[in-house]
Amino acid sequence: MANGPPTPPASREEARSLLRSLREAGDGLALRRSLDLAQVLGAAGSRLRDPADPLRIEAEEKVADEASVSRPMASEIIEGMAGGWEAQPLEQLLRTEFPDPAILDGFRPDGHGQEVRAFGGSLSFHIGSGNVPGVGATSMIRSLLVKCPVLLKPGQGDIALSCLFLRALTETDRMLGKAAAIRYWPAGQGGELEALAIAEADRVVAYGGNDLIAKLRSRLPPTTPLVAYHHRLSGGAVARETLGSIDEAAAVAREAARAIATFDQRGCVSPQVIWVEEGGPVRPVEWAELLSEGLESLSATLPPGKIGAGEAALLQQQVGTFEMQRAAGTGHRVFGRDLVQGRVFFDPGRFLANPLLATCRSVVVKPISDLSALSEVLRPASRVLQSFGLVAPEERRQALATSLAMLGVTRVTTFGRQPWPRAWWRHDGTEPLRALVNWVELESAD
Amino acid sequence: MGPVTEVPSAGERFNRLALEVFRYQLEANAVYGAFVRGRGIDPSEVHDWSEIPAVPTRAFKEIPLGYGGSRPVEAIFRTSGTSLGQGPRGVHQVRDLSLYRDSLFGAANRFVAPAFRDTMKNRDHKNNIRLLFITPSPTQLADSSLIFMFGEWMRVWDDGAGAFLADSGWRVRGDALKRAVEACTGRGTPVLLGGTAFSFAHLLDQIDESEIPLPPGSVIVETGGFKGRTQAVPRAELYAGLSRTFGLPLARIVNEYGMTELLSQFYEPVLLEGGPADPEERRHIGPPWVRTSVRDPISLAPARDGEVGILCHVDLANLDSVSAVLTEDLGYAVEDGFRIVGRAELAEARGCSLLAEQLVAAARPPIPT
Repeated sequence: MANGPPTPPASREEARSLLRSLREAGDGLALRRSLDLAQVLGAAGSRLRDPADPLRIEAEEKVADEASVSRPMASEIIEGMAGGWEAQPLEQLLRTEFPDPAILDGFRPDGHGQEVRAFGGSLSFHIGSGNVPGVGATSMIRSLLVKCPVLLKPGQGDIALSCLFLRALTETDRMLGKAAAIRYWPAGQGGELEALAIAEADRVVAYGGNDLIAKLRSRLPPTTPLVAYHHRLSGGAVARETLGSIDEAAAVAREAARAIATFDQRGCVSPQVIWVEEGGPVRPVEWAELLSEGLESLSATLPPGKIGAGEAALLQQQVGTFEMQRAAGTGHRVFGRDLVQGRVFFDPGRFLANPLLATCRSVVVKPISDLSALSEVLRPASRVLQSFGLVAPEERRQALATSLAMLGVTRVTTFGRQPWPRAWWRHDGTEPLRALVNWVELESAD
Repeated sequence: MGPVTEVPSAGERFNRLALEVFRYQLEANAVYGAFVRGRGIDPSEVHDWSEIPAVPTRAFKEIPLGYGGSRPVEAIFRTSGTSLGQGPRGVHQVRDLSLYRDSLFGAANRFVAPAFRDTMKNRDHKNNIRLLFITPSPTQLADSSLIFMFGEWMRVWDDGAGAFLADSGWRVRGDALKRAVEACTGRGTPVLLGGTAFSFAHLLDQIDESEIPLPPGSVIVETGGFKGRTQAVPRAELYAGLSRTFGLPLARIVNEYGMTELLSQFYEPVLLEGGPADPEERRHIGPPWVRTSVRDPISLAPARDGEVGILCHVDLANLDSVSAVLTEDLGYAVEDGFRIVGRAELAEARGCSLLAEQLVAAARPPIPT
């Protein structure tokens, strides 16, 4: 890492040799207990949670630079991500998906007179994209937990953290470290290694936009499974009962502001559109202003990262357009001092009717007469929904969560927890470890 | 010596007119007036054209931007789509087409006509230039400001046998173009071949490696425009292909930069200056009644010299809508014009979230091509 990201080998022979060495490391992995692997991986992850560890310090510097986030934000991201890489949550992940984790170590009775075992395979190829730090390391850990060696191509803004985790792992357990390799190349420049990995991997895991996934799917052998994590839309919903007073509403807004600010709105978990219910003492438009105040005060402790010229130009278009609409009496408003701290776009239409942009720390707030109408509003987005921060009284949460779930939302949470799903969450509604194994049945000889 | 009357410089004259137009528009366009006041700006404190509050191009999609008078508008031009997806189309209401005509010819006479000045209006009062456009005709596409401009060129410059060679779906008839060019070659009539970048790229794909050499003295006017399309060809590659296919030197391929929201156009002055051939080294210049400032993308304050920012135009030909227009284009200022670096995109800093606007775009049917 000292001299830039690790690049793929130039020749086919070197590429072949890299993949061979990963497979060989897999032979050693097969002999280890999965619960022991969780402990070793967890020990490596804990180093990145230790503020005094030189690796953590290096990670903060590099992540801030590479992902264009502020240093405090880099620290928060590493803290949050590495929180899921420690031994306890990793063991919990294993036990959630495999109540008997030994099923990854050998054949186990299935309770129906035969035996069954889960195999992770001998080589997997994981492809990250974008610049959310920590996605690559999480993906790598999942593969190693199911004992499958992994070649990771991280996203452009996620190289440093992936490499530093692997370094921590290698320093903790050299043999386990050999079962993972990281190489980075810009899209379309993977050469021999990419071609070989696509041809030879038992399974491919990819994170990215629909174009990337579609292109990748077309390149895979028909028999190679692809585990795809598409880009997602997350949001928020605030019930009128929780806006009983300005103080209550401001507290909700502060939590929402933190969910927006974390990852500077880049995460699939980041709430881009928040619907606020009408009929409470605090009106949705007033709540939008409180949200803007929350973002502004947060920018002191959790400063925003850099905004690219292109994103800024598009946001300026939206700011000016909302101002023109307001001038025309449509009820649109823009709150917030500048693009960097984040603007809150209040759009009086409840539907996602027109293109709207919520990027960097900007967010769209929409009023809704009743949150039960969200099902109608969100229907066009049902295939891409993921996390929803829901702030509602307990007696409404179940019903609202059910209607969100029926639309395709896979995680209903609070704004406070929204940026940090637990290590054992059902990622996009799937079980991330079970997605990485093949089941083998050993039928009774009787 | 008698009293000396100071002649105002071009800059001072532009400034005076721009402020006059700004004040007129505040009154004539109530929404714009409210927009300016909403920004807390006192119009009497605006003393320089670059301080005039600019309306984003995207606002043309949401708000009818025209004068509030009782006379009917003469034309309504619509945008084709933007990089933000296939949302609603921008609308520019034009009250007085004669102003647009004067503006478009004012610029084109300076930047395009030199290509065939020698052939203009011979003794028979007939031009010896054939205009071929690989676009739909003004009859097929009455709401395009670009096609209107091509139609005007056709009306005034063409020798009488010019043609629009695409159907209403922008499908180019490659064979018809070939025949039209051959007819010119036989008579030694130079051709002005015009179209959007997308149409040219599509045409090159269609005719593959075959060549359609244009007669000596010909010129290509390419108007940019991959907006809203998924396919984009790098400009250097497109120009190399055009040069090869049509047998023209690169310096005879001119880019026009315009948009529905502006009634003035900018051109690369390659025909005036004989180059440069490399598209990357070129710049754009407009007529005297439009000026461009480069704005810092975050603050919208004037960008520092040579720094990339958002292009913001003040176009006095937009008399009856709004003259100050903030674009989605990024570029930097050069001595007498600007260089375009590209169009605003989101790819640079995205994570794994899907933008709400992409989602909305995805839910819409595609633009027919």
